Amino acid sequence: MIIPSLRRPTAVLTAALLGVSLVLSAAIGASAQETRTIDADNGTIEAPANPQRIATLGRANGSFLALGGKPIAVTKLRQGDFDALLEDQQAAYEAATLLGTSASEADLEKLASLKPDLIFISVPNADFEQMKEKLEAIAPTILLGFHSDWKRRVEVVAEASNKVDVLNKQKADYDQQVAAIKTKYAETIKNDTFVEVGSGEFSKVAVFHLNGSTCTEVVRADVGLDIADLGEGGQSRSYEQIGALADYDVILYPVDHKGNVTEAFRPMTESSAWQALPAVKSGRTVGIYCPLDRSYPGNSRYMESLDRGLAALPKDE
Amino acid sequence: MGVTPVTDKEPPAPLIALRRRRFAGLVAALAALTIVTVLSVMVGSQAIAPSVVWDALFNPSDDFDHFAISDFRLPRTIVGLAVGAAFGISGALIQALTRNPLADPGILGVNAGASFAVTVAVGLLGVSDIRGYMWFAFVGALVVTIVVLALGSTRRGQSPVVMVLAGVCVGAVLGGATSALTMTNPDAFDQMRAWGAGSILGRPLEIVWPVLPLLGVALVLALITSRSLNAMALGDELAASQGVRLVRTRILSVAAITLLAGGATAIAGPIGFVGLMVPHVARWIVGPDQRWIFAYSVLLAPSLLLASDVLGRVVMAPSEIPVGIVTAFVGAPVLIALVRRRKASGL
Repeated sequence: MIIPSLRRPTAVLTAALLGVSLVLSAAIGASAQETRTIDADNGTIEAPANPQRIATLGRANGSFLALGGKPIAVTKLRQGDFDALLEDQQAAYEAATLLGTSASEADLEKLASLKPDLIFISVPNADFEQMKEKLEAIAPTILLGFHSDWKRRVEVVAEASNKVDVLNKQKADYDQQVAAIKTKYAETIKNDTFVEVGSGEFSKVAVFHLNGSTCTEVVRADVGLDIADLGEGGQSRSYEQIGALADYDVILYPVDHKGNVTEAFRPMTESSAWQALPAVKSGRTVGIYCPLDRSYPGNSRYMESLDRGLAALPKDE
Repeated sequence: MGVTPVTDKEPPAPLIALRRRRFAGLVAALAALTIVTVLSVMVGSQAIAPSVVWDALFNPSDDFDHFAISDFRLPRTIVGLAVGAAFGISGALIQALTRNPLADPGILGVNAGASFAVTVAVGLLGVSDIRGYMWFAFVGALVVTIVVLALGSTRRGQSPVVMVLAGVCVGAVLGGATSALTMTNPDAFDQMRAWGAGSILGRPLEIVWPVLPLLGVALVLALITSRSLNAMALGDELAASQGVRLVRTRILSVAAITLLAGGATAIAGPIGFVGLMVPHVARWIVGPDQRWIFAYSVLLAPSLLLASDVLGRVVMAPSEIPVGIVTAFVGAPVLIALVRRRKASGL
């Protein structure tokens, strides 16, 4: 009988194909549903093991972009932060859907319509509490606390976005760079006292900050500069107290990514008191760019500007 | 007990008492201004001995304390004197013009116009220095006040009520537009906060000098209109019957308000309550005569502004609080006290 003999291979083939497709779809399904546990600032989060549609809000934008991530949705970066991104990071940012000018004002309906499978957000805790339920209803949400340790923070982003390999490479490069700076400037690091001044907020007119940026903790902890820990956010002082900076050997001051003094800080540098500081008179000031994204590549750029600045310092007499 | 005879040549006793009170008050206000001015130079977040302050003023050197005086305390004191006097007189003028004891220059849209212009300058035109955007603030205040004046004019002339309504409406529209611009441009928002907080520190004197002649012109205009405003307080018809030119007086008054409040706002940002409180207090002491109210406002408003500034320097030392925030803290309770008074000071 021809028909049964023909039928048998067809049936076998059909059964085989069906089996394969079942196994594949089961595997794909399992992969899609596979999760990992992330220990984030908002608790323990069950997130997809290999997320494909990641949205980033607030300062989380920079953290994910720094890992080479391509977010599907972002909130607006400040112009200076956008300009400071690398070309491919700018392209990834511009390809994403813009959800609003800030994380706390993000269009969550638009976010939901994009069907993200993971959300990173970095906002003050009070803002997060107000958005938490709505965000978690859309997708697993990971809060990157404003004040959390930056190394732990990038680990969380890398782990949750399945980019640990990228992170490890960035970390190795950074450690190598820091080690080189420590060796190259061992004498300066050992003998000189440093202070970082800034005026990051326009709202605080004629007030400057001592050791207030997130980069201060980086140079203190990683490079070992003698730079006082004045607590979170440093200490703010009136312009009347510029003279207090005379106690330090080297002054670090803020510049943008192009090396220009920031607009908010410029008025301080124009004052007679600043011009009369011993460190300013002797050229022992270092303009440094402190990126906000708090990532290894970001801090690596900070180290580059520190390296350039320390190299240009006049030798101690 | 005899009755003192009153001759035709001598003013009545209550009037003499009032005159004495006015002169005594004026001397006290002058003394208060002198004391506060000295305090403004002497006191700050950095403790500096009086002898060092003296040396800084009359025998300056490269000492950091001397720089604190010459770079910061002296300029902010000069700015405070000019800006305070401007806010005080413009407040007195607007209260007289609108016959509203709780009016301040903001009611004519001055602050809204200045804020909108600064937002446009910073957010759309990329102006980032106060030397640049203060002129936008000034022009913004000027344009908006002219618009309000035009909207407030009816066929029968300028109505204070219509003018106030126009001011409130234009202010609301511009306030919304300013918010929309700053919400879509975080960079502009950052810079707006600096100017919007209201401060007299960090304002270089080079931006004050060009505005001073304009403030001087406005002061003259205010003095010219003071007699007419006294008559207008009795009502338009009575004032007109006494020969007061109502339209001219209103236009001159609005011009003076714009120059004073626009110039002061451009330099220091919108500082609230000074223009509201001081003319009110002056009216308690001197009665409804605008000439005296202006004289008192010139002295008391800078006193209040500088005293608030000194307070802002010391309460958060070694940091500072902008004077606009301190006047709001002081002003809000005073405003409540004003509106709860059994007898509001009449106009």
